Amino acid sequence: MSTQVAVVLSVLLFPGGLFALTLGLALKGMDRRVAARLQGRVGPPLTQPFIDLVKLAFKRTMVPTTACEPVFLGAPLVGVVSMLTAAALVPISGLYTPEPVLGNLLVVLYLLVVPGVVLMVAGSSSSSPYGAIGFSREMVLMLAYEGPIVLVAAAVALRVGMAEGHIATFSLAEIVAYQRTHGMFLLDPVMWPAVGAFCLFFPANLGIVPFDIPEAETEVLEGPVLEYSGPALGLFKVMSALKAVVVLGLGIALFAPLDLTGAPAFLGWLAEIVVLMVLGVTAVRLSAGRMRIDQAFSFFFKWPLLLSAASVAAIALA
Amino acid sequence: MNFLSLFVRNLLHGPYTDPFPFAPAPTAARFRGKVAFDPETCEACRKCERACPTGAIRFERTPEGMTFDCWHDTCVFCGNCVFHCPTGAIEQTGDWHLAHLQAEKYRQVEHGLIPAIVCSSCGGKGLDSAPAIAKIKPPLSPDEAKELRSLCPKCRAKFLKQRRQSA
Amino acid sequence: MTMLQKFKDIAVRSPWIYRINAGSCNGCDVEMATTALIPRYDVERLGCQYCGSPRHADIVLISGPLTRHVVDAARRVFDEIPDPKVTVAVGVCPISGGIFRESYAVLAPIDDYFPIDVNVPGCPPRPQAIIEGIAQAIQVWRQRL
Repeated sequence: MSTQVAVVLSVLLFPGGLFALTLGLALKGMDRRVAARLQGRVGPPLTQPFIDLVKLAFKRTMVPTTACEPVFLGAPLVGVVSMLTAAALVPISGLYTPEPVLGNLLVVLYLLVVPGVVLMVAGSSSSSPYGAIGFSREMVLMLAYEGPIVLVAAAVALRVGMAEGHIATFSLAEIVAYQRTHGMFLLDPVMWPAVGAFCLFFPANLGIVPFDIPEAETEVLEGPVLEYSGPALGLFKVMSALKAVVVLGLGIALFAPLDLTGAPAFLGWLAEIVVLMVLGVTAVRLSAGRMRIDQAFSFFFKWPLLLSAASVAAIALA
Repeated sequence: MNFLSLFVRNLLHGPYTDPFPFAPAPTAARFRGKVAFDPETCEACRKCERACPTGAIRFERTPEGMTFDCWHDTCVFCGNCVFHCPTGAIEQTGDWHLAHLQAEKYRQVEHGLIPAIVCSSCGGKGLDSAPAIAKIKPPLSPDEAKELRSLCPKCRAKFLKQRRQSA
Repeated sequence: MTMLQKFKDIAVRSPWIYRINAGSCNGCDVEMATTALIPRYDVERLGCQYCGSPRHADIVLISGPLTRHVVDAARRVFDEIPDPKVTVAVGVCPISGGIFRESYAVLAPIDDYFPIDVNVPGCPPRPQAIIEGIAQAIQVWRQRL
């Protein structure tokens, strides 16, 4: 079929759109359930995030009188659209390669910035002081973690590019194809600093403890999303579910794509994403307390930045 | 790294959750729940009304006798009334299933009535309340207690005085 | 049953709870906190979740006799909660003033100021009694959806 139809279908159905939404919400439900079991409780049913979305559809969206209404209501829409597009950009090894017209790793990095900006904009346009605090904290946190992820992306691009003769290649399809033939980067000692830096980056990007500072419930009453209710809040939940799929899928594509095809490739990808979710999100969420914003800022300027810079240096000089 | 051993322990043991509301919740034996009133054993001394810190207990003299009302929406379940009652007519059950809709608010009342009687000796007004005979020596026989019960307060005092003087 | 009724039946399984402390001694607040957080009573398995913002709430738990200091603030926070919502008065203090009934600083009963739907007496009520009250509130909420 023609490129346009393929692009639209990949954004709306698979792997973006409905598939990513279902997977993201299922992952969130699984995260809550596993977290409850690890804490010795029973926990909500696995379909709880879907039920939450249905319930949010029945509430009404209240807009504060002093808020900037078009920005207030448009921000979550922008976030959802960006994440739908990003989900269509992340390849699934052996199953789905994104159309080249959609973009490459750099576009994914840009799109990953959008949900953070959307949170910031939502917080500041809601004309609430808690929203303003959430806005400034999200900004500081993004400044902190964007550095490492860019260096990690550069490290992977350099590694694949140099092995193929030119300097760097940012096409995710090529990165996945290279790893399918030459072995995953997860097993390559040269890439381990980059893997470490990515593992430190994605809890902050997904907004889980210890880095859920902008959306802290007890401190700033949920910060930027404080004034949202009803379907607008539902859109924020959708955006964060899609972001989980995008970030975890990106991690798998950059470091651990499996060399399978067809149905086993899909099942292997699902297994990898579930393992990454349980180990990287649930276990981390349960074993840490929330950091202060200044602690998080200085943390990201120490280890993740060092690790990712070391990784780039090692690859460039090797 | 303590939390890792906690995770393993929790996974192996399973949830520690109480099965309520899918199974009945265990209630302790001396749980202080809803107040139950027994008009048969009440002396109508009204000590519980005085001891109640919130004023949840009200006695009222009506033509039918003495009514007892305890409104559970202001009772704090402290147990003062049970502690001070000389006969044990008021007691706290283990019933804590008291949640109700707003419309039922003023019906959460434990109501009791000590019926009015006509005194069997003088024909005056009296109450069918249990006589205050706990500390009387020698103890009264059941027949004497039954006769005492049918008298008005003045005749009860006369009866006991005669009993004391003839003993 | 129509599609809408089916969706409403699904929606009713995710009540989000917000607590307002209207001058309470914190006894009822401690019980409300234990109802959610500790593994023994775990209200999360019923789909409930304590939310940090009144805008996200469906069921409001109010504790405490309404003291004069807090009336305005409580009223403003209560108005922030979007419809449809259900209000539960937890403890005897909001229902009638409880043990503080004759105080000059207390404006109980709270249903002179807020529309209450379910009462949960007790001082403080057991966590299981609070869960029962929340279950009744969910029934009322289902009618209002």
